[in-house]
Amino acid sequence: MGSMFRSEEVALVQLFLPTAAAYTCVSQLGELGLVEFRDLNASVSAFQRRFVVDVRRCEELEKTFTFLQEEVRRAGLVLPRPEGRLPAPPPRDLLRIQEETERLAQELRDVRGNQQSLRVQLHQLQLHAAVLGQGHGPQLATAHTYGASERTPLLQAPGGPHQDLRVNFVAGAVEPHKAPALERLLWRACRGFLIASFSELERPLEHPVTGEPATWMTFLISYWGEQIGQKIRKITDCFHCHVFPFLEQEEARRAALQQLQQQSQEMQEVLGETERFLSQVLGRVQQLLPPAQVQVRKMKAVYLALNQCSVSTTHKCLIAEAWCATRDLPALQEALRDSSAEEGVSAVAHRIPSRDMPPTLIRTNRFTASFQGIVDSYGVGRYQEVNPAPYTIITFPFLFAVMFGDVGHGLLMFLFALAMVLAENRPAVKAAQNEIWQTFFGGRYLLLLMGLFSVYTGFIYNECFSRASSIFPSGWSVAAMANQSGWSDAFLAQHTMLTLDPNVTGVFLGPYPFGIDPIWSLAANHLSFLNSFKMKMSVILGVVHMAFGVVLGVFNHMHFGQRHRLLLETLPELTFLLGLFGYLVFLVIYKWLHVSAASAASAPSILIHFINMFLFSHSPTNRPLYPQQEVVQAMLVVLALAMVPVLLLGTPLHLLCRHRRRRRRPTGRKEDKAGLLGLPDASVNGWGSDEEKAGGLEDEQEAELVPSEVFMHQAIHTIEFCLGCISNTASYLRLWALSLAHAQLSEVLWAMVMRIGLGLGREVGVAAVVLVPIFAAFAVMTVAILLVMEGLSAFLHALRLHWVEFQNKFYSGTGYKLSPFTFAATDD
Amino acid sequence: MLEGAELYFNVDHGYLEGLVRGCKASLLTQQDYINLVQCETLEDLKIHLQTTDYGNFLANQTNPLTVSKIDTEMRKRLCGEFEYFRNHSLEPLSTFLTYMTCSYMIDNVILLMNGALQKKSVKEILGKCHPLGRFTEMEAVNIAETPSDLFNAILVETPLAPFFQDCMSENALDELNIELLRNKLYKSYLETFYKFCKNHGDVTAEVMCPILEFEADRRAFIITLNSFGTELSKEDRETLYPTFGKLYPEGLRLLAQAEDFDQMKSIVDHYVVYKPLFEAVGGSGGKTLEDVFYEREVQMNVLAFNRQFHYGVFYAYVKLKEQEMRNIVWIAECISQRHRTKINSYIPIL
Repeated sequence: MGSMFRSEEVALVQLFLPTAAAYTCVSQLGELGLVEFRDLNASVSAFQRRFVVDVRRCEELEKTFTFLQEEVRRAGLVLPRPEGRLPAPPPRDLLRIQEETERLAQELRDVRGNQQSLRVQLHQLQLHAAVLGQGHGPQLATAHTYGASERTPLLQAPGGPHQDLRVNFVAGAVEPHKAPALERLLWRACRGFLIASFSELERPLEHPVTGEPATWMTFLISYWGEQIGQKIRKITDCFHCHVFPFLEQEEARRAALQQLQQQSQEMQEVLGETERFLSQVLGRVQQLLPPAQVQVRKMKAVYLALNQCSVSTTHKCLIAEAWCATRDLPALQEALRDSSAEEGVSAVAHRIPSRDMPPTLIRTNRFTASFQGIVDSYGVGRYQEVNPAPYTIITFPFLFAVMFGDVGHGLLMFLFALAMVLAENRPAVKAAQNEIWQTFFGGRYLLLLMGLFSVYTGFIYNECFSRASSIFPSGWSVAAMANQSGWSDAFLAQHTMLTLDPNVTGVFLGPYPFGIDPIWSLAANHLSFLNSFKMKMSVILGVVHMAFGVVLGVFNHMHFGQRHRLLLETLPELTFLLGLFGYLVFLVIYKWLHVSAASAASAPSILIHFINMFLFSHSPTNRPLYPQQEVVQAMLVVLALAMVPVLLLGTPLHLLCRHRRRRRRPTGRKEDKAGLLGLPDASVNGWGSDEEKAGGLEDEQEAELVPSEVFMHQAIHTIEFCLGCISNTASYLRLWALSLAHAQLSEVLWAMVMRIGLGLGREVGVAAVVLVPIFAAFAVMTVAILLVMEGLSAFLHALRLHWVEFQNKFYSGTGYKLSPFTFAATDD
Repeated sequence: MLEGAELYFNVDHGYLEGLVRGCKASLLTQQDYINLVQCETLEDLKIHLQTTDYGNFLANQTNPLTVSKIDTEMRKRLCGEFEYFRNHSLEPLSTFLTYMTCSYMIDNVILLMNGALQKKSVKEILGKCHPLGRFTEMEAVNIAETPSDLFNAILVETPLAPFFQDCMSENALDELNIELLRNKLYKSYLETFYKFCKNHGDVTAEVMCPILEFEADRRAFIITLNSFGTELSKEDRETLYPTFGKLYPEGLRLLAQAEDFDQMKSIVDHYVVYKPLFEAVGGSGGKTLEDVFYEREVQMNVLAFNRQFHYGVFYAYVKLKEQEMRNIVWIAECISQRHRTKINSYIPIL
């Protein structure tokens, strides 16, 4: 947890990897996932880098793998997941893997090709058989005579048209969707010198390539004349038809048909044999492929990482630069030593100073991960900046719960989250792919806390499914009131509304021990009482939350060594915020404590007082809260306003002064600064603000100080803060609004559904039967509207309060995450 | 059509327009070209293309990689995209897209007929046909002996049919006639397409008409240029010019009378649009007229993307992609033939 408060110290290390051991070193680092490599060859394009040949070889292999994988998938088999630890293989193993997979792929290709050609042959045979057996014969005979008699008078002079005209046949099969086009084209091109009959195959055949069933149209074309024949053949060619010899005699056709069937049977046997062999080969692929795939993927990753290294002048070693957490440096050193010792050389890592901002590394566990996620989705923190996540763990669920306060709803949410937390180690839960489920599951600890806090605030609001519970006896006594004021039966019958007066002795016995008194749920002015309470509570929470944010800025300034900002920024900001809105909070609390029920009639209005404070006026009807109030208020306003110019001009003027002083004696300091360069710490504290950098870089940075930019920046910051204080305080009123909406919605749901159901039948039987659907509706609507919808909206508003109102007081979020080079993703 | 495309355009075509604009954004940038030009081998080129939106389109190609393989794969990709647009389009965009394919169909038909004339096998020529202009009856083209045969038997059902009205003749199909046929078809096609765009009105007309006018003028110039020193008579030449565009009618009449390039140039001097183009020819870098026209075309097509709610983007995208493919093929050819001096004369897409 200690590392949660700010990101870990990350150092730039230079790795000297001897050429012989570079590969093993980097592959070991990939297993550990400690460092993020920096690209030292950014200017070199991808194909001009040192290890591009190796990368390409890996890619070649991957291409083969894809082929094998595709074949396995096509055979309807699944690849087993690789088991055990599979380190990146030594480079010489690549040849072995390559050879094995190539051999396997070649074998597979051969068998596949064999099978394919066999299937094509079989398909041809089947088609031929189908065309012959389709029974065009009898149709043809009639068509023939019919066609001939039709044509006879038109074509030739009467008298034996059949003498010199021999009828020829073309038979074949075509895909159904092409058949109409073929038929039309034949007719157009040959102008009736042919008769074509098409018929669909009853039984679909297996497509030789895809193996899917496909129907075919068989056709038989009879034609006159050789020229037409050529044309027909050309046309059938262009439609990629299968054309088969068609014998004229029926007997010969039958004989051919029998022969074909026999052939196809033989062919099927051969095919079966081939397929058995194929499945053997595929079995070998299934064994070999998964580990090889993982290994080659790792190998490729190693080479890609090596491509980011530069070569030393002597060509004896590769130089890599990498970001590494200081805590992991010993582990890094050890890993390098171990993996390079085998080769008899030693790889070295040492820290070097850096000008660039190091990446941010915050280690999380499964509990803190979701909270860190909330912060990171706003922006990854600057290096070593105060991390809002640990505070978010409490404030986020709390602010959510303020808007979602209901014991029942909170309990449901808590139980749901608890179930997820308890089941988190079950593989089925982890493996679920549903995106919505994954979102919920990822935030299970967040939900758990949100539910828990909602139960707590629910008790404070005294609401459980919008019903009040009276755990303790109420602080109000109706009996006392009735006795004291002597309400008669007639009076009670006439008045449906009665007032309890706390000033009458015995009526108000004392405050309820915890939360809102349950008697309020019966009161007509329930809502206005709660509104006043919740509104004030929102403002108090908001001002505290914002002031906390400003105070967190102190740690940033201290850490980055910018003490002037403490005085010139944090102090004025805090004064401004507390002087105006902190005073408002004080007024609220003071009035709660000071004004009793007895003086309620003449209680002063805080709102009027607060307005008057800014106008420097007073209204005679509004009693002051305490003596000398106007003087105090005037002083506070003047003080707060006086802070604005300090905030606006303080930092820029300070920087300018320091800049001038530095420039007057620029040379003297350079030497002792240069000494710092050698120290490993030089890079650590160099992450101040835009204006200031520590260490040897300071002088150069200072030289670039542009006054107008600094002033502009500060002016924006000042305006944003001062206006922000007002608008953000108002923004916290969403706590009130949302909690009001939630309470009212659940109240409506109870009154409109459940209460109607309960009041339906007096007899036990009727009520029992009716209550089942009514309760179902109530339950579904509670979950859908109150839990999911309202929960989402409260979540969003809590998110906004954290991102906008809280984090902009101190958090810049302009960093980037450390993404170490690791095989972890490839292992999966 | 009603005016005010912005009111109803997106109902039918918004999705596709969004898609085509996304596709346009994936065209290679200047930086990509600079990197491509530095490649030493086709393998390098492939690796570089992998980093662009082309992705792994060459991954399944067996070695060795050749220029024609790259070309085929690129065409396949474009064709896939175009098919997608076409399958998801509604009228009148689908008609528009059909019109776009017609020019490729004309080219394919002419290519096949030329092949048949030279007794080449259909398979070989099919490989050269543009996939965008493919149609089922295409391969049967070689059974036709006269244009009317061609029309009656084969093309009557294709979208090309209406363009054939002017070219029905009983002349045998020899090389010259095929060329005439192509130009007549093209003329008829361009005129019809132009009319379609004009009738459609609105932004589509405003964007497409200048592009098609330029296309028509370009054809007129090229026909003129190619007819110098051939037996084509001046009257016949005039009949081949598309009858619209900036040159129509006076310019075309003058062009029909031109006898050499200088005369053509003096005619062009009257046209502000084309004068700078002709002046750029042969200038720095030895540009040909073709290059200059291509550059102008790219410019117009890129400008088409500045307007919204019109069909011109589809036309412009396909043309730009074609140009990009030509560029890549050019660079690949230069690399594979080790002819690096001219590698930079591709036409950049702005």
